[in-house]
Amino acid sequence: MALPLTLRSSVTPPELELVASQQLIEIVPLISMEKTAFISGAYGPLRPPNKAKIPLWIAVNLKLKKKCHIIAPSWLNVEFLQERLTLETSRPDFSSLPFRFAEAAKVILDVASDDLENPEKIRSLLKDLREARQAKSREGLKTLDHSELSLPNLCSMEINEIRPYFLQSMSILTQLVRNPISDPTHRNA
Amino acid sequence: MDWDTEYELVKSGRYVPEPGPSRSAAPQPIPDDDADADVFNDVPMAPATTTMVFDDEEPFGTPLEQLTRHWMNERHAPDILPAQEDLLTNLLDHLRRQSEAVQLLRGDPSTSEEEHIRIMLVQTEVERVKFIVRSYVRTRLFKIERYARFITTNAEIQTRLTAAERDHASRHAKITDQHFYLSVLQSLPEKQSHLDDTPLFVPPMITEPDISRPVFVHALTKCPRITLPEFVLLFSLHLQDSHSLTARCF
Repeated sequence: MALPLTLRSSVTPPELELVASQQLIEIVPLISMEKTAFISGAYGPLRPPNKAKIPLWIAVNLKLKKKCHIIAPSWLNVEFLQERLTLETSRPDFSSLPFRFAEAAKVILDVASDDLENPEKIRSLLKDLREARQAKSREGLKTLDHSELSLPNLCSMEINEIRPYFLQSMSILTQLVRNPISDPTHRNA
Repeated sequence: MDWDTEYELVKSGRYVPEPGPSRSAAPQPIPDDDADADVFNDVPMAPATTTMVFDDEEPFGTPLEQLTRHWMNERHAPDILPAQEDLLTNLLDHLRRQSEAVQLLRGDPSTSEEEHIRIMLVQTEVERVKFIVRSYVRTRLFKIERYARFITTNAEIQTRLTAAERDHASRHAKITDQHFYLSVLQSLPEKQSHLDDTPLFVPPMITEPDISRPVFVHALTKCPRITLPEFVLLFSLHLQDSHSLTARCF
């Protein structure tokens, strides 16, 4: 088939990563490069030691060749994440984070953990955040009904994670509400 | 329709793609550095300060961002969304131009070490874009094959397909019909040998898109409260002002 079964219900995390890698990020280049026109836009020129803003995927590419340092986005540090975690655990709603924070954080932590301060702490904070938020979306299942669900501040990876299950549940609830007695076996029972 | 509304939201911020092919003169094979820069720059592009485009009033300005959005929409919508023929043509043109430029520079022995990195990056991007294009086309293909019989009988859905897609749908429907007839249906009693019976209490035999399936909706710009038909899961996010995020469902 044109689309493998595993891809039908939702997109996969690597695909979300691909989308997120289009975001711009600041780097300190270690090589110089003329301004180059890409399909997504023109980036550069790179002139060490001046900072430059380029898409994350280029940054990752250069970083793997040890040709740049990635500057962590303003939300990827211990203080900010600690503050969000406190908010997350003390309040019932989701705290606001960049929409694609999970993907970007993973990519940066994977290739450029040496450019971050205290990457281990960041990793564990991200994990705690994820768990706190996951617990909340599970909580949200209780309020799930056939027609609506409010999920402010949920991020792309989290939506993707709950999508198949939530949508299927809502579909079934919808059917139940729409035709409560259309099933003949139920009528006879 | 839930995804119609989503599509309208998306359309409201739409950017008209530049008519690419007219400008696509073949890159000149001049092997010095300046010419290299020209080869890569000889295409209509977003300005270098793309940051503005990313989170400003045009949430998906460049053709690639538009296609990415359409790809994601297509993957999650239960129905087939309108075809993006012009956008796709422009991007494919652009892909071809970039590949040609890369080929030219690679064949040139005087390209410097620094140029190699640029070539490699441009090539990487070409592959990334190709992946998105392929996945987008395959997603549509999957839906077209799945709903082929429905497409041949429904004029409305046909308006959302390109000519090639309509053609594929009708051929696919014909071939499967023939196959079913030859392998099973011809040996069944006349009463049961049709593929479009609608007996009571049995789901219809023609697979239709399940347009009552809920979808997640993400508002790209601030919008007033929208009233949608029931059974829609609305996830409304005001990107303009990240501190006053609100979500509302109907």
